[in-house]
Amino acid sequence: MRIGKFVETLHLGLISALILLGISPWLGAQQDIEVPPEHAAQMKAGMELFRTRVEKILRDRCLECHGGSKLEGEFDLSSRETLLASGLLDLKDVAASHLLAVIRHESEPHMPKDGEKLSDEELNAIQKWLELGAAYSQPLVEMNAQTTVKPSVISDQERQFWAYRPLTPVAPPELDRFPASAQNWAQTPIDRFILQKLNDLKIRPNATTDRRRLIRRAYFDLLGIPPTPAEVDAFLADADPLAYEKLLDRLLQSPQYGERWARHWMDIARFAESHGYEQDYDRPTAYHYRDFLIRALNEDIPYNDFIRWQIAGDELEPHNPLAVMATGFLGGGAFPTQLTEAEFETSRYDELDDMVNTLGTSVLGLSIGCARCHSHKFDPIPVGDYYGLAANFSMAIRSEMELDLAPQQSAQWKAEYEQRLLAAENRVRDYEQNQLSGAIQRWLANWNPADSESLGPWRGGGVRRIDSSGGSKFVQQQDGSWFAEGNAPAKDVYTVVCQIPAGQWKSLRLECLADKRLPNRGPGRAGNGNFALGDIFIQLDRGNGDVQKRTFAKAVATHQQNGDTLSVAASIDQDSISGWAVDQGGIGKDQAAIFELATPLTLTETTDLQVVMVLNHSNPQHSPGRIRLSWSSLGDLPAAVGKEEVDAAVQTALANLKQQWNTDSADYTTAKAWVKTQLAEYRTLTEDVEKIRQQGPKTAKQKVLVTTEGLPHLPHHADDRGFPHFYPVTYELIRGDVHQRKGEAQPSYLRILMRNGKTEDYWKIEPPAGWTRTSFRRAGLANWITDVEDGAGNLAARVIVNRIWQHHFGKGLVDTSSDFGKQGDLPSHPELLEWLATDLVQNGWRLKRLHKLLMTSAVYMQASEADAVFDAPAQEVDIAWIKDRVGVDRENKFFWKFPVRRLEAEAVRDTMLSVSGNLDMTQFGPGTLDSNMKRRSVYFFIKRSQLIPMMVLFDWPEHQVGIGKRSVTTIAPQALALMNSAQARGYASGLARRLGDISDREKVTAAYKIAFGRSPLEHEIEIGERFIQEQSKMYQAQGNREANATAVVDFCQAVMSMNELIYVD
Amino acid sequence: MPNTRFRGLSPTSIHSAAAHQDSSSSPTLWTRRQWLGKTGCGVGVLALANMLLEENVLLGKEAFDASKLDPLLAKPSHFPAKAKHVIWIFVNGGPSQVDTWDYKPGLEKWNGKSIKEFDGGFENTTGFFKNSVGGLMQSPFKFSPQGECGKMVSEIFPNLGKHVDKMAFIHSGHTESNNHSPALFAMNTGMARMGFPCVGSWVTYGLGSESRNLPGFVVMSDPKGRGLPKGHAANWSSGFLPGVFQGTHLKPSGPAIDNLELPAGMTAASQRQQLDLLKQMNQTFLERQAAETELTARIESFELAYRMQVAAPEAFNIQLESAETLSLYGVDHPECDHFARQCLTARRLVERGVRFVQIYSGGMENQRSWDGHSDIKGNHAQFAGETDQPVAALLQDLAQRGLLDETLVIWCGEFGRLPVAQLSDKPGRDHNPHCFTAWLAGGGVKGGTSFGESDEVGFKAAVDKVHVNDLHATILHLLGMDHLKLTFRYNGRDFRLTDVAGKVLQPLLA
Repeated sequence: MRIGKFVETLHLGLISALILLGISPWLGAQQDIEVPPEHAAQMKAGMELFRTRVEKILRDRCLECHGGSKLEGEFDLSSRETLLASGLLDLKDVAASHLLAVIRHESEPHMPKDGEKLSDEELNAIQKWLELGAAYSQPLVEMNAQTTVKPSVISDQERQFWAYRPLTPVAPPELDRFPASAQNWAQTPIDRFILQKLNDLKIRPNATTDRRRLIRRAYFDLLGIPPTPAEVDAFLADADPLAYEKLLDRLLQSPQYGERWARHWMDIARFAESHGYEQDYDRPTAYHYRDFLIRALNEDIPYNDFIRWQIAGDELEPHNPLAVMATGFLGGGAFPTQLTEAEFETSRYDELDDMVNTLGTSVLGLSIGCARCHSHKFDPIPVGDYYGLAANFSMAIRSEMELDLAPQQSAQWKAEYEQRLLAAENRVRDYEQNQLSGAIQRWLANWNPADSESLGPWRGGGVRRIDSSGGSKFVQQQDGSWFAEGNAPAKDVYTVVCQIPAGQWKSLRLECLADKRLPNRGPGRAGNGNFALGDIFIQLDRGNGDVQKRTFAKAVATHQQNGDTLSVAASIDQDSISGWAVDQGGIGKDQAAIFELATPLTLTETTDLQVVMVLNHSNPQHSPGRIRLSWSSLGDLPAAVGKEEVDAAVQTALANLKQQWNTDSADYTTAKAWVKTQLAEYRTLTEDVEKIRQQGPKTAKQKVLVTTEGLPHLPHHADDRGFPHFYPVTYELIRGDVHQRKGEAQPSYLRILMRNGKTEDYWKIEPPAGWTRTSFRRAGLANWITDVEDGAGNLAARVIVNRIWQHHFGKGLVDTSSDFGKQGDLPSHPELLEWLATDLVQNGWRLKRLHKLLMTSAVYMQASEADAVFDAPAQEVDIAWIKDRVGVDRENKFFWKFPVRRLEAEAVRDTMLSVSGNLDMTQFGPGTLDSNMKRRSVYFFIKRSQLIPMMVLFDWPEHQVGIGKRSVTTIAPQALALMNSAQARGYASGLARRLGDISDREKVTAAYKIAFGRSPLEHEIEIGERFIQEQSKMYQAQGNREANATAVVDFCQAVMSMNELIYVD
Repeated sequence: MPNTRFRGLSPTSIHSAAAHQDSSSSPTLWTRRQWLGKTGCGVGVLALANMLLEENVLLGKEAFDASKLDPLLAKPSHFPAKAKHVIWIFVNGGPSQVDTWDYKPGLEKWNGKSIKEFDGGFENTTGFFKNSVGGLMQSPFKFSPQGECGKMVSEIFPNLGKHVDKMAFIHSGHTESNNHSPALFAMNTGMARMGFPCVGSWVTYGLGSESRNLPGFVVMSDPKGRGLPKGHAANWSSGFLPGVFQGTHLKPSGPAIDNLELPAGMTAASQRQQLDLLKQMNQTFLERQAAETELTARIESFELAYRMQVAAPEAFNIQLESAETLSLYGVDHPECDHFARQCLTARRLVERGVRFVQIYSGGMENQRSWDGHSDIKGNHAQFAGETDQPVAALLQDLAQRGLLDETLVIWCGEFGRLPVAQLSDKPGRDHNPHCFTAWLAGGGVKGGTSFGESDEVGFKAAVDKVHVNDLHATILHLLGMDHLKLTFRYNGRDFRLTDVAGKVLQPLLA
């Protein structure tokens, strides 16, 4: 019995006994503290004994497995506290303790487990020390500074913090509170919340901006690329009062919307397509997560499902490929590829930490990670909650699944396949019914029964037995081949004993056949399915010790591994080790080689001979597993596999039928079965059927990187060191140290976000009947995190509306968009945030609706100038609204103007590509590291060690940890890239080509329209035109033959470098 | 439900707003525009920032944060700094302390014995290869006393040995991991995990850079094709700090920095014209958004870039040095030419105001770096040979130019090596996280001192143990920064280079 089991029984027994007595077990435990009068003196003596003797014994013989690096049987003797808590010891009756019994080998398991029994001296020292009260001078495992664990109860006061409170419906302020001009300004309820603050501060917002800028804003915000001049013109010309709304609807339906917004979430999800760390191996199937994001956003999947799938799509909707793809979220973090034993467990806890942390910051805007080592200093997240959350991921690993990414397409392909198969089968049947008998008759007419070769070149091998020097046992198969059973010896020599009829024999065919019993289906017996035939020759025993050896002169094969030492010719050369092998395309398939003698073997009578096959390659076990021999009197035969010896019965039937044609006879049936295999036309028809069958229906199945449980993990460098990838039990650790376990952590959630008396069980989901592959812990977590009433859904809703707001307005209502905790900023407009979150939830968590709601507000549509005037006749402007807005709110914290923002790296590059006319809109699929690719930047392959230089310059994240808000820097290397990089020059050339063959003046105008959606002002045209002309002259003087063309490219490059291109206002 | 009916836009109202915009800018903004108009091309961001700062002061506005305009602007330290620049010789792969600077006569006594006899706590998994643990092994190198301080130095450092009176040794270093990349991350970022800002990023974040034409934090890696240190660019990553603070990795071959060369067909004159055009064309938008300082900064960034095209190649061109200097470093010496060039480049960069330079000696692992798993003798002799003369020359050169007083030179790898033999044809040594040696020299460092001790055989740090966090705290201190105060708020937590630990090693300070 393991000690752990014992402890469990003991505890249960003790606890139930106490309960029967009506005593709480916790009260019972207190009685241990009773102090005997001689306690102090005893402890002192015990301490001395510990220092002088016992500590060394425990350290040398016990500690490693019991509290040091391991915790076998849940027994921890690293400190007095844990020793006494083990239940294996009663200080009042040490002699009878189970602990003593196992080390004295009086009870099982005998301890130490892997070593000699302790000496009597050692046993006595331990017993004495226990009797003295088991005093420790220090714990045997170094403890760090004591942590003060917060009381695990969350106080009411803590629950009152704004972010944790339940969602409360808020009514927007009444319009009539504001000056008349402001009332006119407000377009949506959002504006009323904004006006309220501005009214308090007595500053006015801006009026609506011009339409040209509005359409650019909308394009950049929703799609991340600029509108074309035609799109701008159409919008400007649209007199429909709903023109702007129609525009938004159109953009929200655009496939490019998902590409823009997926990228925002990828930042938060620290998504990349490589492991990071030492080797930074690629995760070539990880891109499906990016495709999931694009598709899900385009389809406007409700945000709660969007989150639920990313946590547990494999459990909640295992048959929905999109939901399963979503789980790439959890496994998207960096992970070491080179691990030592000492790092296995720590690394797994690091990985759990990455999942917990990413989930916390992305969905809840909470930094939960601090609680790994100590209860969160600022937010009510105790250590226990952290490990409870982590326990939901205990078994979650990265794996690959084959998913049908387009079931409808697959179904269509399947229908097409079935049709094709049916048609092919019908053709065979037609042939059999209408043409076969005529064809047989014609075949018989041409057949000369006297010609022995007319039924094919090969005759059966006449194999009687096969002897093996390595002890292989051969069993004859139905098709005339011989199968070698059991494991192959490292080296072998097969001696095939054959009985051959009289005649002239020129060629020997050796078929090495595939068989599912062989590794990789063979045909060889080596681990990879290969073989290597070092040598092959014939031995003729003429009796009286006269053994003749006949070697072959020529060889061909259906497939050979190379043209050199592993070719079929090498089997008959002087080197007995080199020889025919079939890897590199031949594994798992039937193979044949034909060996031809220089002069035929002439036999006057039936003769016994031996074919010797030498199998002695330095790679072990390279012997064929299933062989068949046949002989022919012909030479120059093509290498082909197939049983072609004709049964005597068939020969007889053919002869009979040739003499007397009768389609009702048994002879006809027998002959037909054989003849039809000889008819080219029939063969083609049946091969068609076979080919279609073998191809099977086309499917949209692809390998997808997922995070799940119960499937094989991705291969890892440390697999051969025994890295387990996960530990079924997650422990609560002291200070995050894997050597200091406090106890087993049960799957749980953050208690600050569990309300109305609900406990964990409320959200847990039972797997469907028969489902055993995963634990459904993540399903429960997904359930809790999106539950608005009692769980974390209130906070999740606030966090997402704030993120969307941030991307439309440059900063969130809570400026720290990934930190809604006590350290984060308070919302600038708490009621508005509450109203938006409530609105989102009440309208089915649809993000597209939210975009439109924000973008039709007056606060979104307003002008961006700090000094723009208010759009109202002077007399309507309330004089109380003072004018110096910069003085009151320099940072525009209260949204009195639209913020001027630089585009993100992707949008910068996509815009330049779009303006250059070279943007390739192909969607989905694997990404690339090629800086010159023309697709949208979201399709760059994200390799952690090899980030795309152009993207990095414009503040691409490092993709190591979640980033809620990118930094925006303006640095000289960005300018250098636009001035000198091949890409920038390429974009400029693209734009120049796009302008076409028009005057310089027209080119300036066209370039402005394409790049900025506006016509240049007159002086801008003049500046541009003059530049092109002067630059042309300069180039001409330098002897540049394409002076004007180069000058136009220079001009276009300057256009591409302008602030107006990459700043949205 | 709140009323969410959208009102349509009237095209006229939109246009009327636009019509106003050009005629009604506020006087304050015009003032600046006029001011800007006076400045010719070639004004630096520094000057610009100062100008804007002045203007705001003049206008009585709240203090203008110039660092927002240019995050690399030099910033004052927390207290007067001893060192202004850092050159870190990263002894990549993990140098063996007992074969370099940590002389262990005790190891001769223990030679051949099992380390478990010496320390029962040793496990075969302490190093990386658990199946090739041999007995304790004395150093194959001779040690002799050097300098006035009489420091015992391995024979592999004949040149560096002459500078021990400039060096402060730490013999009791210890770290978190026995594996290269986590240990590299720990040494560079204080955390054994990926994704945190490294020392160079923290330093440039805290102090900015004094160079306007060069990056503030520069990293050089092995130019001999032996690869990058394990973990690649994460070793000079800015983590969650803004990307502007990440190390600029000089490309080991070809132009050191991307995009310094003009596109084909362009000339310096035609680019100048083009940039003038750009500046003119930027005016319309700038006038419309006069309040946006970022726009001006971006216009200026093109001017800075234009100057960098000249300044950076000049800084990297060591051929401008005297023949005497080149030969001092060992340029053209076949064994150490590559490292000589890197050390000389480092000096030229520091001279031009670059804040933090890191040079990796060696590439990835095994024989490609100081990772002497087999043949520790051959391995360390080779890599010491590649670096001894150049690093010694660097110390001498900095000193004679008066730069050593303000430049902190660090010699340190990611961990140490075990004092036992790693069994192999020629014995090597395996990784050891429990003990390593580092030295500091230059600005603010007390030369000729040794701090901390390893145990008798150099297996574990024993006296005055120094964690990586302590080393980092000391580096920051020498640069005038309090490691407790240099923080960055990320996802709700104020992060530090030293996380929740770190103490300044006072005895090392001059």
